[in-house]
Amino acid sequence: MLPHAEMVHWAFAAGILLVGLCLLCEAVVGEEVWHMRPWRKYLWPGLAFGLGVLLWPVMAFFTNSSIHMYAHGSWAEVLMLAGGAELGLVHGRLRSPLWRLTWPLAFVVTGTAFIVHEQNPWFFARSAFLHHLLGWTFVVAAIFPLLLVWRPRSAVLQACFALTIVTVSVMLFSDRDVAPIFGHLSPLAGAPHR
Amino acid sequence: MRRLLAIALVALAFPAAASAHATLESTTPHFGREVQKTPGQIRLHFDQQVKILPGAIKVLNGVGHNFAGASQAEGTDVVASVRPLKLGAYTVRWQAISADSHVVSGVWTFGVRVPAPSVNDAYGAGGPTHTEHLVRWLWFLGIALTIGALGLRLIVLRGLEVPRELDRKIAVAAGLGAVIALQSGIAAFSLRAEDALQLPFGKFLYGDLSPMAATRFGTAFVTMTLGFALVLALVYLAWLLDRVTLLVPAFALSLLFAGGLSVSGHDAVDPGSSWKTELADWVHISAASLWIGALATMAGLLWFGAPQLRREAFQRFSRMATVLIVLVLSAGIYLSIVRLPHLHDLWTQGYGQVLLVKIGLVCVALAWGAFHHFVVLPALDRADTGFLTRIGRSLIGESLVGIAVLLVAAILVDSRPPAKPIGNSNTSTLTGGSAATLGP
Repeated sequence: MLPHAEMVHWAFAAGILLVGLCLLCEAVVGEEVWHMRPWRKYLWPGLAFGLGVLLWPVMAFFTNSSIHMYAHGSWAEVLMLAGGAELGLVHGRLRSPLWRLTWPLAFVVTGTAFIVHEQNPWFFARSAFLHHLLGWTFVVAAIFPLLLVWRPRSAVLQACFALTIVTVSVMLFSDRDVAPIFGHLSPLAGAPHR
Repeated sequence: MRRLLAIALVALAFPAAASAHATLESTTPHFGREVQKTPGQIRLHFDQQVKILPGAIKVLNGVGHNFAGASQAEGTDVVASVRPLKLGAYTVRWQAISADSHVVSGVWTFGVRVPAPSVNDAYGAGGPTHTEHLVRWLWFLGIALTIGALGLRLIVLRGLEVPRELDRKIAVAAGLGAVIALQSGIAAFSLRAEDALQLPFGKFLYGDLSPMAATRFGTAFVTMTLGFALVLALVYLAWLLDRVTLLVPAFALSLLFAGGLSVSGHDAVDPGSSWKTELADWVHISAASLWIGALATMAGLLWFGAPQLRREAFQRFSRMATVLIVLVLSAGIYLSIVRLPHLHDLWTQGYGQVLLVKIGLVCVALAWGAFHHFVVLPALDRADTGFLTRIGRSLIGESLVGIAVLLVAAILVDSRPPAKPIGNSNTSTLTGGSAATLGP
C-alpha cells in the first residue's frame, strides 16, 4: 500500500524547506552566531544527508516506470554526497573547501534529472511547467554554491543559495494538480493528474 | 526547535512516489495468479484515464499465439476480451498512452490450472546474458568488499591500535563496496526488467516495473537497496564521528542482506529447495564474502598501509579464515548434493560444468591459503622486510583468485540446476522448453 504521488512531493518539500530556512537563518545572522550552539552547525547538512537516505525507499518502492527509478536514485546519491561532504566539513573531518563542489554538482544532476524525466512541453500542464522550472532553476542556480566555494563568507551568495532552496520547496509543494493550494488551474490543461 | 525538528523528521519518514505518468494499479487476473478457467476478459485498472493503442493488450501462450481480442477503454480501465485458453502459462503484454502523452508499457504472467511462471520467464524473455553475469559479479564484489572491510576492522583488528589513516581507508573501502552494491543492484534489476519487457530503450524508460518488483529478484533488489543504503550511511557516520561501534550494525546489516542474492537465485525456487537450502546458501555467500573481502582488504590496505599490524593481523585473519572455509565448504557440499541429483551431472550438465570450474578455482584458493597458513605463518616471526613484501603480493594473488571465484559464482546463481526426477512436477514451460521458475 503506497501513498499517493503528491504526498512524497509535500513530504520532501517540507524537508527541503527546513534546509532552506536553516541556510537563510545562517546567512542572516552569520556563521559565528549560527554556530554558537554546536548542534546547529550539523542541522542543515544532517537534514540534507537524511533526505538523501530517505530517497532510497522512494527509488526502490516506486517502480511504476524506469525513468522515475533512475531520477529518484540520482537524487538520493547526490543529496547523500553533498550533505555528507558538508557534514564532514563542519565536523572537521574534511579540510578541503573543494568538497563544497559537491553542491553545484548536486544541483546540476538534480536539475538535469528533473528536465530529462519530464519530457512534455512547458505548457502541457502545471506539473510539466513546474518540472521544467525546477530543473532549470537547479541548473542555473548551481552558480551560487559554485561561487560559494571561493567566496564562502559572502552573505549575498549565502542568501541566494538559501532562497533557491526555499523556492524549490515552494515549487515542490505546488507542482501537483491535486494540490490543495493552486489546485488544477484550468480544464484546458486536460484532466487533473498526479 | 528540537521538537519541531523531530516532527519534521517523522513526517519525512513516509515517502511516496512522484509520477505524472499513468500507473497501473490493478489487473484481472492478478499478477502471477493461477486461475481455474479462462478469464472472460483482461482488465487493466490505471490511476488515471489512458488512451489505447492498436493491440493494447496481448495474451500470449508459450509459442507466442495471441488470444486477446480488440481492446477498449472504459474510464480508467482498459479491457480486452480473451478467447478460450487451454491449460498452460500465459504472458500478458500491454501498452497505453497516458494523459501526459507517454506510452507506458508492461508485462505480467498468469497460469490456467498451472502455477504462473515468474515474469522473468515471460514469453519472449531470453534469460540472463553475459552482461547480466558481469553486473551480478560486480554486485558480489561490492558486497564482499563491504563485508570484508567491516569484518577486517571489527574482527581481525579488534582491540588493536589502528592508525587513523587505515581506519579512513577501511571506511572508504566499505563505503565504496556499498555504492558498488547499490549501483550494480539497480543495473541488474534494470537488465532483468528489460529482458522481461522486451522494449526498446526509449519505451523501456516508461515501462512498468511493478511486476518485476513483485518477483523474488525484485524483493531482493528492494531489500538489498534499502539495506546497503543504510549500511552506507552508517559507515559514513562511523567515520565522521570516529565511532567504530556504528560499524557493528553496518556489518550485521550487510551480512544479513547478502542473503538477498541467494533469495533471488534459482536455489530459492527450484524443486528440492527448502529453508535449509536457503540458510545454507546464505551461510555460503556470507562466509565467502567475508573471507574474500577481508583478504583483499588486508592485502590492499593493511599490508602496505600499516606494516606494524601485519603479523598480528595475519595470525588473526588466518584463524578467522579457517572457520570461514569450514563454513563455505560445508554449505557448498550440502548445496551441491541437493542441486545435483547424479554425480555425472557435474560434467554432463551446464550447471555442473560451471560448478566444476568454481570448485577448481576454490581448490586453487584453498591451496594458496594453506600455503599461507602452514608455511608463511610459522615463518612470520623471523621474516625480513623483503619477505613480508613478497607475502603481500602473494596475498593479492590469492585475493584475485577469490575474485575469480565470485565471477563464476555470479554465473552459477543465474544458471538453472538440472531438474530433479520427482513424481509431481509443477513446472510450466514458456521459453525455449526450459522449465519456468515457479512461485511468487
